[in-house]
Amino acid sequence: MKTLFSLVFQQKMTLVGLAMLGIFIGGALLAPWIAPHPPEQLYEPLRPPSSQHPLGTDDVGHDLLSELIYGARASLSISLVAALASTLIGLWLGTIAGYSEGQPGNYVGFMIMRVVDILMVIPRFPLIVLMSAFLQPGAGTLILFFTLFGWPRAARLARAQILSERTKDYVQAARLIGASDRRILIRHLMPSVLPIALTRFVIEFQHVILAESGLSFLGLGNPMVKSWGMMLSYAFRYPTIFITNLWVRWIVPPGMCITLVVLALTFLSFSLEIWANPRLKTWSARGITLTTHKPRIEREQATGFAPRTKPFRPLPRT
Amino acid sequence: MKILQYSLTLLIVLSLNFILPRMMPGDPLSYLDNSDPSVDSPMLLTEEMRQKLLAYYGLDKPLGEQYFDYLTGLLRGDLGWSIYYNAPVAQVLWGRLKWTLLLMGTATVIYLTLGIVLGAFSAWQRGSRLDLGLLFSTFAIGSWPPFFLAMILVILFGIRYPLFPIGGARDPLLAGATGLERAKDIAYHMVLPVLALVLSHLPGIYLLMRNSMLGVLGEEYIRTAYGKGAGDREVLFRHALPNALLPMLTMVAMRLGFLIMGTMFVEVVFAYPGMGTLIREACLARDYPMLQGTFLITMLFVIACNLGADLLYTRLDPRIKIA
Repeated sequence: MKTLFSLVFQQKMTLVGLAMLGIFIGGALLAPWIAPHPPEQLYEPLRPPSSQHPLGTDDVGHDLLSELIYGARASLSISLVAALASTLIGLWLGTIAGYSEGQPGNYVGFMIMRVVDILMVIPRFPLIVLMSAFLQPGAGTLILFFTLFGWPRAARLARAQILSERTKDYVQAARLIGASDRRILIRHLMPSVLPIALTRFVIEFQHVILAESGLSFLGLGNPMVKSWGMMLSYAFRYPTIFITNLWVRWIVPPGMCITLVVLALTFLSFSLEIWANPRLKTWSARGITLTTHKPRIEREQATGFAPRTKPFRPLPRT
Repeated sequence: MKILQYSLTLLIVLSLNFILPRMMPGDPLSYLDNSDPSVDSPMLLTEEMRQKLLAYYGLDKPLGEQYFDYLTGLLRGDLGWSIYYNAPVAQVLWGRLKWTLLLMGTATVIYLTLGIVLGAFSAWQRGSRLDLGLLFSTFAIGSWPPFFLAMILVILFGIRYPLFPIGGARDPLLAGATGLERAKDIAYHMVLPVLALVLSHLPGIYLLMRNSMLGVLGEEYIRTAYGKGAGDREVLFRHALPNALLPMLTMVAMRLGFLIMGTMFVEVVFAYPGMGTLIREACLARDYPMLQGTFLITMLFVIACNLGADLLYTRLDPRIKIA
């Protein structure tokens, strides 16, 4: 009964996450059709909500609802592209690292992993703040920054997966038949990394959307790109924002949008992780689990421990 | 190996700090004086300050010599001259750092304790209604961007129901207060910022702890402990908890970057006179030496903590040797 419950529960969470994300992405794509006004158009400033302007206007006269809908484009596109690029690059380099390791005379993997080690220690947000302050990046450069510091985690996970997978019998069998390295990599090893890569992508997406909005909030984004974070930044700089009721329609909507997107991604990463890690499946049957603690799993994958199949004794409740 | 890795990281960070201002379009100083008409300069640079800056950067020397000067300067604790404050960067930083450390330290103690207790409890009672409730509230709270959370707290508890001050670290009217009164004033001003920080970091720690605990509870030695007749209490406190706490050490160090990011936003929203506000001010005023100084201190702090956690971990867990 409990198993059934958690399965439904888990699936529901996936669906809810996908639906929420879908609404936001759909809104971003359809912005020109669903936004009531063009975002650059100026009206009477600080208008209260009306049928013409459901959320009113800001201090220069932009329609807030239209700004919010167009803001989805900026926020989502930057994070989506950056997350995708980090995951793909990480996947690629991690696979190379995992595959070349153990081959005599091949130091490519070793070099890649040392770079990963270094990049993992540097806290990326302060560094991106500094780089943005100096170089005043546009959307493209910003994506580059996020990718530059985003790929190592994906690479580490991919490497660990490749290392554990390539010792398995079916890979050895493929090698015996005479399959080339290339074929083994693409046909057998890459697919096994996919679930991990997908989870990583979702988590990275989440990270970038938070970091991007934070950067804009600090006033370091591109003022021409009006993302949700930039809206919040403008709102925060408006002198009487907290005292009047203005915050209800100027701060809460963009803030809530970021929160809901992050929540949707949390749901997705949660259910993806259970799918990606069969070891967690036995646990999920007895409750819900969420793994953010990777090193342990990574270690076990690297050492090739068999996944636990025996259910453990249920603990007596106190 | 570990030491080598960290020294290399440190060198890269220092070099980045050196290179970035030199990568800016044009001369680093052209942003600051009005010699370049295409740039809208935020302030006028007096000739005296320009000399000071030129002397600091040594921009007339060859690049290699500049780099060497920069490194030796750092060793003497010379972080440069702040344009905005017209004072040594190190001096301004020092005044701000203590507030940030106070805020971060208090918040860390609270969210770590709460997160570990709740996480362990949740894992122990896994699948129960309480566990699910906790898990879902964490999801809900954890999704809020820290600055949004802080702004909502200001609006709710600072303005709607004015229970706490909405900004600053001390009441200017109580500037002369000493002893207990001063401590009370500081604590009173800290409530909301610390609450914002705790709320935004508790979910992460809670999930990590819950997960770590779930992993430990699935281990064979827990079964063995039950098998030899240990009670629930003994299993929990003697076998499960210590082992589940071990990986938290690395995780807390790895999350430091997050913590600093969160503190920065919270400080900005509450106008708290710490490093975060300083970074924002430096950004707005284009006070590059100040920005570099804050960056350097932040990086040093994080790298030191990571190294410390790594070394401590190998002490605590004999299974892992320094590679």
